[in-house]
Amino acid sequence: MSIKNQYVKYGLVLLLSVGMILFTQEIKLLKDPTSTPVTMMTLYGLLCLWTFSMIGIFISHLMKNVRVTFIREFPILGWVSITSLILCLVSDFFVEAIQAVDFLSITTPILTFAGISVANRLKDLRKTSWKIGIVAIFVFSGTYIGSALVAQLGLFLSGN
Amino acid sequence: MKNNLAYIIVFALIVVFVSEMIGFQSIPIGNVSIGVLPLVFAIVITMIFGMKFFRKGFWKKVYSEGNINFSSKYLIFIMLPLMARYGADVAPNIREIISIGWVFIIQELGNLGTVLLGLPIAILIGLRREAIGATLGIGREGELAYISEKYTLDSDEGRGVISLYVIGTLFGAIFFSVFAPILLSFGFDIEALAMASGVGSGSMMSAASATLVASNPDMESTILAFASASQLLTSFLGTFTMIFLAAPLQQVMYKFMVRRDAS
Repeated sequence: MSIKNQYVKYGLVLLLSVGMILFTQEIKLLKDPTSTPVTMMTLYGLLCLWTFSMIGIFISHLMKNVRVTFIREFPILGWVSITSLILCLVSDFFVEAIQAVDFLSITTPILTFAGISVANRLKDLRKTSWKIGIVAIFVFSGTYIGSALVAQLGLFLSGN
Repeated sequence: MKNNLAYIIVFALIVVFVSEMIGFQSIPIGNVSIGVLPLVFAIVITMIFGMKFFRKGFWKKVYSEGNINFSSKYLIFIMLPLMARYGADVAPNIREIISIGWVFIIQELGNLGTVLLGLPIAILIGLRREAIGATLGIGREGELAYISEKYTLDSDEGRGVISLYVIGTLFGAIFFSVFAPILLSFGFDIEALAMASGVGSGSMMSAASATLVASNPDMESTILAFASASQLLTSFLGTFTMIFLAAPLQQVMYKFMVRRDAS
């Protein structure tokens, strides 16, 4: 696939993603009229999210040529967050626009596609022993409780 | 193929509609109340319809190989707007975050909890080398790469990490969306839990921070800022924590526990 076609594809997938967010926010309003309204700012916000994501993808491709393994393998997700953080520090307009997009409305469509994407993995579950299932509970709890305890202590010491 | 993609998009819209209409549900269990978000309904519905049992006739068009591949290949791109949203949450809070930056850094050490809590349990219930793969971390791409490089995936360690990867992919988000509010009811500060939410997996972090937001809507901005700053830090430091701390710690603990077990 040529580079240009690849970017058109990314652009369309991102369009699908922000379109789904808008749809979700509308449904949320239908269910609860007091939730985040859809305004002109929301549309600007979605445009920002789309653009920042594209910039992040572009940067991550550029970095594929860097010699440092760590930078080359830094995830696209990270590049997008950094791009957005820097641009949001530059202008408050971006912050206001993006915050007009309801946060929870972003999460529902993502998990919808996450659920679809694992369809072929469901059968792998049979190969997995129940023992690992039990261990998984403790592994997930472990990282979360561990970080929460250290964070709690740290916040206490820093007087927050 | 393009035509088939329309099926999955319409299906996704319907799932979102149904999940949002069910809405946020609060389920009391004893004196703890567990909030269930629409995102949990969305993932449960799509997983149920994805079972082989349903994939006949019309559903085969919705859950076609092409559509499933599309979802898994592009899931990361579908997630990007969420990552971009986090920038807008961190930016207004950047001063506060930098002022307690050291807390963010040391709480990365909490990720060793996978070894500290997971490994003894794994050994206790009779796992051996699989436990190395299953408890090194939360079993995402980083651990998968490390284990496959060191032991290959076709080893006991490899099977351990793959199993954890599968379980995490299927149930990770659901687990964290339930677990985060439980800890909140144990008296943890919401800031600490928000920081802890940056576990290193996008969907798990979203699920954990989303339930925290749903339980404390006035704190939305702080919760999202802390969760995403910590997530970003995990993507920087996570590999180092794993290689230089988690892996050696795991080896020491493993030798100690298995030897004692054998005598």
